[in-house]
Amino acid sequence: MTPDFHELKKGGFIKQQGPGLFLMRLRTIGGHLTARDLENLAKVATEYGRGEVHLTTRQGVEIPGVRLEDYQALIEEIKALNLLPGACGPRVRSIVACPGKEVCPNGVLDTREMTREIDRAFFGREVPVKFKIAVAACFNACTKPRENDVGLQGIVYPELVAERCRLCGLCQSICPGGAIKIIDEKVTINRQKCYGDGACIASCPTSAWVEAARGFVVFVGGKMGRNPRLGYKMFDFVPEDEVIPLIDSILTVFEQKRKGQERLADTVKRLGPELFRQLVSFPGPGEALRKANMAR
Amino acid sequence: MAEIRATKRLDITGDCCPITFVKTKLALEEMQPGEILEVLLAEGEPLNNVPRSLKFEGHKIHQVRKVGPNIYSLLVERGEDQ
Repeated sequence: MTPDFHELKKGGFIKQQGPGLFLMRLRTIGGHLTARDLENLAKVATEYGRGEVHLTTRQGVEIPGVRLEDYQALIEEIKALNLLPGACGPRVRSIVACPGKEVCPNGVLDTREMTREIDRAFFGREVPVKFKIAVAACFNACTKPRENDVGLQGIVYPELVAERCRLCGLCQSICPGGAIKIIDEKVTINRQKCYGDGACIASCPTSAWVEAARGFVVFVGGKMGRNPRLGYKMFDFVPEDEVIPLIDSILTVFEQKRKGQERLADTVKRLGPELFRQLVSFPGPGEALRKANMAR
Repeated sequence: MAEIRATKRLDITGDCCPITFVKTKLALEEMQPGEILEVLLAEGEPLNNVPRSLKFEGHKIHQVRKVGPNIYSLLVERGEDQ
């Protein structure tokens, strides 16, 4: 029986160079693998491939040198070992993420939980062309959110509990945007200059700076490849619980407005970022941001 | 505020991260809880990273003072053992 290559591709099984050889693409959730996963990957790569793997640019793992006749057994073993098949072709690809605040000292958001939710909601969804999502936990943007169709960049806005402040001046010295100034023995913050990196909150010796609002900057319409383009900063502040409905709406608008095989970057450019933004359903930055006096 | 006197002084102005924090951590480990360490460090990456790491490890920063064009002094109280 001739295999349905289109169906195989959906599950991350891809024809490679060489007669009769395929590679099995597996995904991770934001690049996270347990030691046991690595042991299982080694086992599967030795048993079904040629004892090696390739780490993909989207934090996945590819096992080259798999034979077509072994596909069924391999996919069953992958399922049994709780490894996750990847995807190829016109669908939402694996979600890329940095380690987030659980590990990285600069991280201001939990990227692992966010990435898990995004993966659960969108991974493998059929779209006209490939669709890539990346999550970064802070404004250092290590996962390059602007190079993706949708990119999230963690942001946290601070608030001062004045009675705890001892005017040591540390926050003024380390604030990367120069937003914090001590004037006449009073700490002031220029909200327009705040990068939302949370350095003041993390460093304040007396915990006078506290978190007032936490969410993501969302970039839309980035891509790499032959005609690379950086995504537009389309939403200044999206609370964590609004991320899934927002991405869903972006995907829906893209599906409705795209022409031919264009990527989201081309659709956004053709319509203009402001019109595209207006078509997307987003209730706004929410009460948290207004309370933090951050509304722009 | 009463003057806080350090019992030990550490100059890490010539070091880069993460050696800055490693040296500070080792110096504090040789001290008793409650003792004060004065750390001299450069602004930029060391000033961004060392105070937040000290706070995270349970030590208490009493004072941050600019003592030179690009040099800061931190007065750190060694915390209890984790």
